[in-house]
Amino acid sequence: MKRKLIAAIGIAGMMVSIAACGGDNGDGGGKAKDGYAGQTLTVWVMDGSSPDKWQKDVAAAFEAKTKAKVKFEIQQWNGIQQKLTTALSEENPPDVFEIGNTQTPAYAKTGGLADLADLKASIGADWTESLNKSAVYEGKQYAAPWYFANRVVLYNKKIWAEAGIKDVPRTRDEFYDALKRIGEKTDAEPIYLPGQNWYHFVGLVIGEGGELVRKEGDKYVSNLDDPKVAAAMETYKKFQALSKAPKDKDEATPQQGEVFAKGKVGAIIGMGWEAGIAVKANPKLEKDIGYFTIPGATADKPEGVFLGGSNLAVAAGSKKQELAKEFLKIALSDEFEGRLAEENGVIPNKESLQSHLKGNPAAEAAAPAAAGGGTTPLIPEWAAVENEPNPIKAYMTAVLNGKSPAEAAKQVEGEFNKRLAQKQ
Amino acid sequence: MTVQIERPPSGTADVRKGDGAGPGGPGPRTASRAGALAPYLLLLPACVATVLLLGWPLLKDFLLSFQNLNMTQLIQHVTEWNGIDNYKEALTSEDFWRVTLRSILFTAVNVALIMVLGTLVGLLLARLGRRMRVTLMIGLVLAWAMPVIAATTVYQWLFAQRFGVVNWVLDRLGWHAMADYSWTSSQMSTFFVIVVLIVWQSIPFVAINLYAATTTIPAELYEAAALDGAGAWRSFTTVTLPFLRPFLYATTFLEIIWVFKAFVQVFAINGGGPDRLTEILPVYAYVEGVGNQHYGMGAAIAVLTILILLGLTAHYLRIVLKQEEDEL
Repeated sequence: MKRKLIAAIGIAGMMVSIAACGGDNGDGGGKAKDGYAGQTLTVWVMDGSSPDKWQKDVAAAFEAKTKAKVKFEIQQWNGIQQKLTTALSEENPPDVFEIGNTQTPAYAKTGGLADLADLKASIGADWTESLNKSAVYEGKQYAAPWYFANRVVLYNKKIWAEAGIKDVPRTRDEFYDALKRIGEKTDAEPIYLPGQNWYHFVGLVIGEGGELVRKEGDKYVSNLDDPKVAAAMETYKKFQALSKAPKDKDEATPQQGEVFAKGKVGAIIGMGWEAGIAVKANPKLEKDIGYFTIPGATADKPEGVFLGGSNLAVAAGSKKQELAKEFLKIALSDEFEGRLAEENGVIPNKESLQSHLKGNPAAEAAAPAAAGGGTTPLIPEWAAVENEPNPIKAYMTAVLNGKSPAEAAKQVEGEFNKRLAQKQ
Repeated sequence: MTVQIERPPSGTADVRKGDGAGPGGPGPRTASRAGALAPYLLLLPACVATVLLLGWPLLKDFLLSFQNLNMTQLIQHVTEWNGIDNYKEALTSEDFWRVTLRSILFTAVNVALIMVLGTLVGLLLARLGRRMRVTLMIGLVLAWAMPVIAATTVYQWLFAQRFGVVNWVLDRLGWHAMADYSWTSSQMSTFFVIVVLIVWQSIPFVAINLYAATTTIPAELYEAAALDGAGAWRSFTTVTLPFLRPFLYATTFLEIIWVFKAFVQVFAINGGGPDRLTEILPVYAYVEGVGNQHYGMGAAIAVLTILILLGLTAHYLRIVLKQEEDEL
């Protein structure tokens, strides 16, 4: 009796260990018979950049195809570079992560991003050339373009109607007059524009035809003392004066979408999806939110905009390279790329998918300005400038607090140049 | 001062007696050896924890300070030694010295306020009746027990520009210019908020410590002083103060260390801003090292910070050590 029991225990033990071996194989990253079952892919996406439903459906499609699971982890833009650098240096980095287009060249240079040449060959033949530019460094494909977006004016229709404004403004002056009218006729704050919405400021600089940096010899230096930059800052200052928002905070502290949600602000300048933040905080506001293109100096040309965008990259240190590429093939497929464009109103990575933007009011408002949009310089040196305390933000606050643009440019020049020249 | 003779025999005398019996006594050797080892065994956990949690990071930091370690090197795990370059760059930069001076002034102002106010509250505790003393004590302990980040967040709310209680109260009291005042917009107003926060957080420690110290003063001394015709101030300076002196030294010493490395409060209130004007040394090390991703440079500044702190406290350290010798 006893011997039998021991034998049974022995057999059971062997079975468990065999099962354990099977489990190990699955976890080890190799492709077992039943796909990648048991593995989990970690994906970092930025706050608000993809809707929950989109994430859920991508995860379902991914699991159906590969048997592996995907875990989305939401990150904040503020402080993301420090977090990403540390994560990439670790044993288990996020396998796939969203990375801002202006930050991509710097990370490509560090060697933290995997080469995606084969992915580009298999699914990226018709990625829009201009959108793919930031993902290529020294001729190599280090990321895949995901989506692009530019800012629009989000306005509260109820407040505008209360002020008796019927048409959306077509020029900068009309826009200013409309906001002024709201200030006079209603008790709402005409526009919530914090002093450090620097992406909007970059857009204004692009609209003036200015540049933030210039090349001197073989290195980049501050170009904030350019009169075109000063003109952009004067425009910003004029509109900021209509807002009670703090001059030394950016649009994320507090989230301007949440301020807008209270229904006491006439307009904000933001991404189309920020309406989602507002609606989440105050569902009653949904029917009152409208969008229009940021008006430029003349009616025939919209304001310059910063073409923000994100790429998806694979960590060079990830042990699930193949699985990560499988994920990208699904997330960037025409189906899901199209749905992202539709649901978030962002510009998709292929021109053929732009039809998905039809009927999305935010996207329709954004589209006219995109052609005249631009980015910050796509150089590896740029990423350091965006680290807090960002000298461009300091420049803006200095001007808003009464310094002349020339004085403010001089004040931050040292810090700006130091960052552009810093060791990599 | 003859009273001191009456002090009860201290614990050291007993220990000495035990030690004396050890080597000469006929007791079993093994037992005495175990007895001799016991203190070391008891010290071991604390030593291991200190070495692991403090010594090891300190050594790492020291090694990093001689490296060129940026994003690339960190991600690719390469070690690039660059000798004393980081130190050279830090010590020759004007910023470093400006921040150092600012840190020293910041520490001086805070510690002076903490010690004066803390001592006054401590003396108040000694004079209060039972019920009021317990009430005040509870308030102090609650302030002391509040986690630093929680307290800092509350202060951020209190001093918020548009919805803060402080601006609202000032406005209600008739100072309407303060209705939308941005406390974080200038160097001095930011420092004001930080100093109020740090002083508020530190007073309980000093107050309770000094109150405890006053309870050790024998009441006969005050009677004797009164008989000799000493007034309140005279008996304070000749009786209370001499007793409190060692406690004052020790708490000042600790407060200097705490204030000097008050990273959390300064960083959380305004990130060292506006325009990097409220950065003290630890914040400067963080912004240069982690914020700008020059980890080697940050490590070098951290090492220099420790050296400066040692320099500042050397004097106090000597006094405190000397006093302990005197006590024995």
